[in-house]
Amino acid sequence: MVPTIQREHKHYDLSKFTILLVEDSVYMQTLISSMLKTFGVGDIVVCDGAEEAINLLTIMQARKQSRHINTVDIVLTDWLMPDGSGHELLQWIRSHEKEAICFLPVVVISGYTTERLTGLTRDLGANETLVKPISGKTLASRICTVIDHPRPFIRTANFFGPDRRRQDMPFEGKDRRSATPNIVDIE
Amino acid sequence: MSIGDDDSVGKAEFYNRANVLKGKVGLDVQTNADGQLDPEKVKEADDLIKAMCKDCNKNMGEQIEGLVRAWAAMAALEQGDARTQKAQQVFTFAHDIKDIAALCGYSLAAHFAESLRDCITESSFAEKNQRIIVQAHIDALIVIQKNNLKDDAGPVAEELKETVKLAIEKYQ
Repeated sequence: MVPTIQREHKHYDLSKFTILLVEDSVYMQTLISSMLKTFGVGDIVVCDGAEEAINLLTIMQARKQSRHINTVDIVLTDWLMPDGSGHELLQWIRSHEKEAICFLPVVVISGYTTERLTGLTRDLGANETLVKPISGKTLASRICTVIDHPRPFIRTANFFGPDRRRQDMPFEGKDRRSATPNIVDIE
Repeated sequence: MSIGDDDSVGKAEFYNRANVLKGKVGLDVQTNADGQLDPEKVKEADDLIKAMCKDCNKNMGEQIEGLVRAWAAMAALEQGDARTQKAQQVFTFAHDIKDIAALCGYSLAAHFAESLRDCITESSFAEKNQRIIVQAHIDALIVIQKNNLKDDAGPVAEELKETVKLAIEKYQ
């Protein structure tokens, strides 16, 4: 009998992580922050809506030279918020001229479970979508996917964001892409 | 339309970035091995949800009280900006109740809160009809909260669903 090999995954240490949580519901803010704290996330910054998050990211970007200011590693944003939606925030992030902002990993958390929304968040450049109700497992899984499997970013005339093709499947048929991709390696 | 479907899209740029996050969580970037969060911590996070859900009915009650107040204020207003603002508040309360209820397994309350959230933005309803439909939802939510009804099934749940469905069908 061939022995099965149990691959031990190393546990992440998130103590150096800064996560920006954008959520308007105080109840969900408290819950998600507490869950992130339990995961060991070092710094959790909470905003009530996209407007506040945009202001905060702008300030953080402007002061990033300071050793006392942490940069945001992951943005977790609700979709539907009165003071600026997740849609607005995601658009702002992906269209930002600064690399420190436009490449930020964004996980959209939404109570809307439609396929249309999942497609929309993907087409706007979200890295992951987390459908409510959340659980420890689903929240951990989205964070781990962002860390373990960062997809290359792609810029075309009408899209900027993580590669929307998650699987490297063999393709049969005519390749209709009009140009050879230009690969840019960034530190 | 996907990227490959449009010949006018032109040049695509691929940005391969160094995985800074992996280094930050203490894993070797070179080996590219997957890691995980400590399962104990994930379990602790789930326990937090369970602990919060112990007060779910009370929390829902507070949100429903806010909803009732916002709805009363909205109903007293004529069409205009102030009414639209109040509609936004009703929408937010309904949305929050749906989140809280769904998180804690109150599927019947989540069902009505979601339906209410969708009704409140339905501008095709005549104002009077919208009032009746919204009120039917709110009444159902109050009954659910007062009786601590959790499941989406059972005679009371079916009766409530039927009542709200009739209101929607009649006044839509």
